[in-house]
Amino acid sequence: MIRSLQILALLCAFVVLAAWAALGAHRGWTMTAVPIKKTDPITEIEFVEYDHRFVPGVDFLGAGLIGSGTILAFSFILSKFTKPKS
Amino acid sequence: MKPIHTLIIAASSLTALHAEPLTFDFKDPKGVNNVVFKLDAPLESINGTASGVTGTITLDPANPGTATGKIVVATESLTVSNPLMREHLLGEKWLNAKVNPEIIFEIKKISDVEKKDTKGEAKVSGTFTLNGVSKDITVEARVTYLPGKLGDRSGGKMQGDLLVIRSEFEIKRSDYNIQPGQNLDKVSDEITLSLSIAGAAPKS
Repeated sequence: MIRSLQILALLCAFVVLAAWAALGAHRGWTMTAVPIKKTDPITEIEFVEYDHRFVPGVDFLGAGLIGSGTILAFSFILSKFTKPKS
Repeated sequence: MKPIHTLIIAASSLTALHAEPLTFDFKDPKGVNNVVFKLDAPLESINGTASGVTGTITLDPANPGTATGKIVVATESLTVSNPLMREHLLGEKWLNAKVNPEIIFEIKKISDVEKKDTKGEAKVSGTFTLNGVSKDITVEARVTYLPGKLGDRSGGKMQGDLLVIRSEFEIKRSDYNIQPGQNLDKVSDEITLSLSIAGAAPKS
């Protein structure tokens, strides 16, 4: 049980870190709409079109790592209470 | 009627037609018209756009100083990349989009017009309404008149002229009662607005 929690915590941290890195390692807030600059050829107006996709930011990374840390801390607390008495 | 008289009448009709002001509609079916807003606070920088631009401006290209009209931006069209930030922005503590669905600039006076061919610069004074608060402001605007270019833009479906307006100006959110003095470390008081819009005057 304790070992499983520790593995789960490490796995969570790894998945969160890998997802954040794979989806662009964005160092701002999480985005669900990514701005793309375009220019109208006739009026030469620059405008922004939004590509609706999920880009995790530092808040996603932080929340994921805090979650993993909490699971890990919980596993250590649990190990203290379940230590066999000598 | 003598041919010379016919010619004079035709020529004066053409002059009168040219001098007629045109009404440019800024509801752009291509969705290109936009207003970019930037807030640069010590702890956070917020950038976003608003695309729900409508309104009309009546302008005589030969005499742009007499232009009248208003530009309206739908508050709900304000977009930032972060969904939670957008929810807060449009919520009742900030812009309260449900109660104040429109951001309006109504032209009152145009001065210091500098015209060169189809381009011009001017100072535009008008009433700017945001968050239900109206204030008179003066902004600098650059205008480009593109006669006959509507056909190119609409793929030949419509014929007519285009009017492109660009302006960058700064307002203070405290002037418009948007959480004055609150969260200044993350949401700056100064808001830079960059307007880039094109209006069409179709010819029948």
